[in-house]
Amino acid sequence: MASLREQILRRKPATELAEETGADTEGGELKRTISLFQLSLFGIGATIGTGIFIVLTEAVPLSGPAVIFSFMFAGLVAGLTAICYAELASAVPVSGSSYSYAYVTLGEGVAMVVAACLLLEYGVSAAAVAVGWSQYLNELFDNLFGFTIPENLSNAPEQDGIFNVPAVVLILLCMLLLVRGASESAKVNAVMVLIKVGVLILFIAVGLTGWDSDNLDDFSPFGVDGIETAAGIIFFSYIGLDAVSTAGEEVHNPRRNLPLAIIIALITVTSLYVLVALVAVAAQPLADFEDQEAGLSAILEAVTGDEWPATVLAAGAVISIFSVTLVVIYGQTRILFAMARDGMIPPFFHRLNPRTLTPVPATVAVAIVISILAGVLPIDFLAEMTSIGTLVAFLIVSIGVMVLRQTAPDLPRGFRVPLYPITPILSIAGCIWIIKDLRAVTIYVFFGWSAVALLWYFFYGRRNSVLGKAQAGEATP
Amino acid sequence: MTIVVGFAPDGRGRGVLHLSAMLARSAGDDLLVCAVVPAPWPPSPARVDAEYRAWLRGAANEALEQARARLPNDVPAQYVVREARSAPAGLLEVAEEHGAGLVVAGSSGGGVGHVSLGSTTSRLLHSSPIPVALSPRGFRGRPGARVVRVTAAFSEGAHDLVVAAAAVAGQVGASLRLASFAVRSRPPLTAGIGTAPERAVVQQWEQDILAAARATLEEVEHLPTPPAALTAVIGHGESWEEALEDVEWDAGDVLVVGSSSVGPIARVFLGSRSEKIVRHSPVPVVVVPRGAATEMAEQVVAGKE
Repeated sequence: MASLREQILRRKPATELAEETGADTEGGELKRTISLFQLSLFGIGATIGTGIFIVLTEAVPLSGPAVIFSFMFAGLVAGLTAICYAELASAVPVSGSSYSYAYVTLGEGVAMVVAACLLLEYGVSAAAVAVGWSQYLNELFDNLFGFTIPENLSNAPEQDGIFNVPAVVLILLCMLLLVRGASESAKVNAVMVLIKVGVLILFIAVGLTGWDSDNLDDFSPFGVDGIETAAGIIFFSYIGLDAVSTAGEEVHNPRRNLPLAIIIALITVTSLYVLVALVAVAAQPLADFEDQEAGLSAILEAVTGDEWPATVLAAGAVISIFSVTLVVIYGQTRILFAMARDGMIPPFFHRLNPRTLTPVPATVAVAIVISILAGVLPIDFLAEMTSIGTLVAFLIVSIGVMVLRQTAPDLPRGFRVPLYPITPILSIAGCIWIIKDLRAVTIYVFFGWSAVALLWYFFYGRRNSVLGKAQAGEATP
Repeated sequence: MTIVVGFAPDGRGRGVLHLSAMLARSAGDDLLVCAVVPAPWPPSPARVDAEYRAWLRGAANEALEQARARLPNDVPAQYVVREARSAPAGLLEVAEEHGAGLVVAGSSGGGVGHVSLGSTTSRLLHSSPIPVALSPRGFRGRPGARVVRVTAAFSEGAHDLVVAAAAVAGQVGASLRLASFAVRSRPPLTAGIGTAPERAVVQQWEQDILAAARATLEEVEHLPTPPAALTAVIGHGESWEEALEDVEWDAGDVLVVGSSSVGPIARVFLGSRSEKIVRHSPVPVVVVPRGAATEMAEQVVAGKE
């Protein structure tokens, strides 16, 4: 039996990853077909929609109009982490989740921690996004039919409700589609990008008519602390930027295009966010943000006194958040699938339905857990948990980049971070900076969750590891 | 056993004749080429439409003459004109009267090289209690062509179909191949997990389906007259068309598809997957109703004991 240290540090050979995913049987490398433009579009599409529709309500009361600096700060950190992530991803021949990258480059123990973070980045964020969706759905129903779902049935217990039914309905709908084998195509993604960017531009254009500089007088009521605290929640709205890195193997000239696409997507997204935030804080007084539902729609309605812009925005949000939820839950099921194949979690998660080629048990299990989270937890907590999970995952990735430069300097990398070691160090510092200002409860829950994951690894993962069994087989034939 | 051939009175559908000849030659069956014309309606003694009906019959007979001229003469064939309320109904009536084991029909318009289901063939598929063979548009068999390989579309629950197909393949001296199709669209890049997890999913599915296929093939090996060779293959693609093209096809190939397990038991009821396989098949397809497959499989097993 290998020692615990050996177990934690054992790494999956990169060639094995390529073999077991069938990369070789299907003609080896994927064709490099993605251009810089498409890649940037992917980055924008993957990023917008996870947060901007819902974070203002949570973030503005913490920082005041200075929230625009929170957006810039969170965006900067997101950009730095995405660039570090790109190097780690490019060191592995096939593209997977950061769990797979960590397993190949940093070892089983780290991979398990990253997986725990990914459960927050995907599972919990799907819950957060679904809660946001329920707010916009209610707004849309209200404007179109003069009907809203009762407060009790559309809010979490902490917000005077019982259970958030629409959020659960959304997740179950996504589950049904995923069980049937649906997946978002490039075309759908392009349409979604148009819708998302379209409604944000609509918000900016219409919202500008309600510009009132008086609202900006007390620009930073809570100072730098407020800005940093808000950045913690706002980081949530930058999740997805890293999706660009996972496309590395299909991109023309990744060395040039990966960082460029990340930067283009980042600048586009940040500009949109900052404009949206600026228009929002100028349009209504600080006090109005607190507990406002379907924030962007509500602001438009207040500004214009007219329902249609709010309705259009709510409709756009309902459509695009639906697609985001679908993609996020999809990602979660496939990450669990990969983990189950590695023996890190029970084989239940890699059982497939032979007709639809989908991991039905995993999909159903994921949907049930996310439904419960979305049904009973408030959105700010879900958003913060997502942020901390993502931040820690990126923190590990950034450290991993530096570790790997020391331990495997000759490993071929499709892309290297510029200005090494400044970039990863800044990335690490940025992550820590944001994490430290999150609410104490978030940090405690996160530590608790990580402890659970490590215990799980200690009692289950390290014994059932497929890699471990293979290595043991080699050692004692 | 007799093979009923649906030949349209308009004389289209040379593919049907080529396919019928190939099947009859392989199985040593005789053909019954049938042209269906509308039955008189309303049933009145006045016979106001006598001339019209005479013309219809004449046209049908002319079509059958064409068929007679085109059908290779090494295959025994009879020719009938049938009056029925619809073409599928007429063909099935004839089949029942003659105790036929198979109905052959052609493709309607559409792309050359694929089976395309028109209103007649669709209805035939949905109401036939016996297997239906469909020729791709423009199908041509060389003189003396025989069935060389039977490919059964394999999925879980296709056990009876495989046994039935294996028995037929064994009788006609063809080999048997099980084909499964993995149709997966590209994973969404926006999920941020890349392509590896989805490939792992497909690979896991491949392992599962190949294990199931091998188990079924082992059973088939012990038939009284086993097929000449047994193989299993998987077609990959982002669409059904790609997945079917991914598998290698040759002259003498016939694809056997089972009807859905959810439809009425005795009849052919194409499931959405079966229908897609049929529509994108580059080779002739035989659609076997579940009831017929089970019956054949039971006979095979009973004969073995």
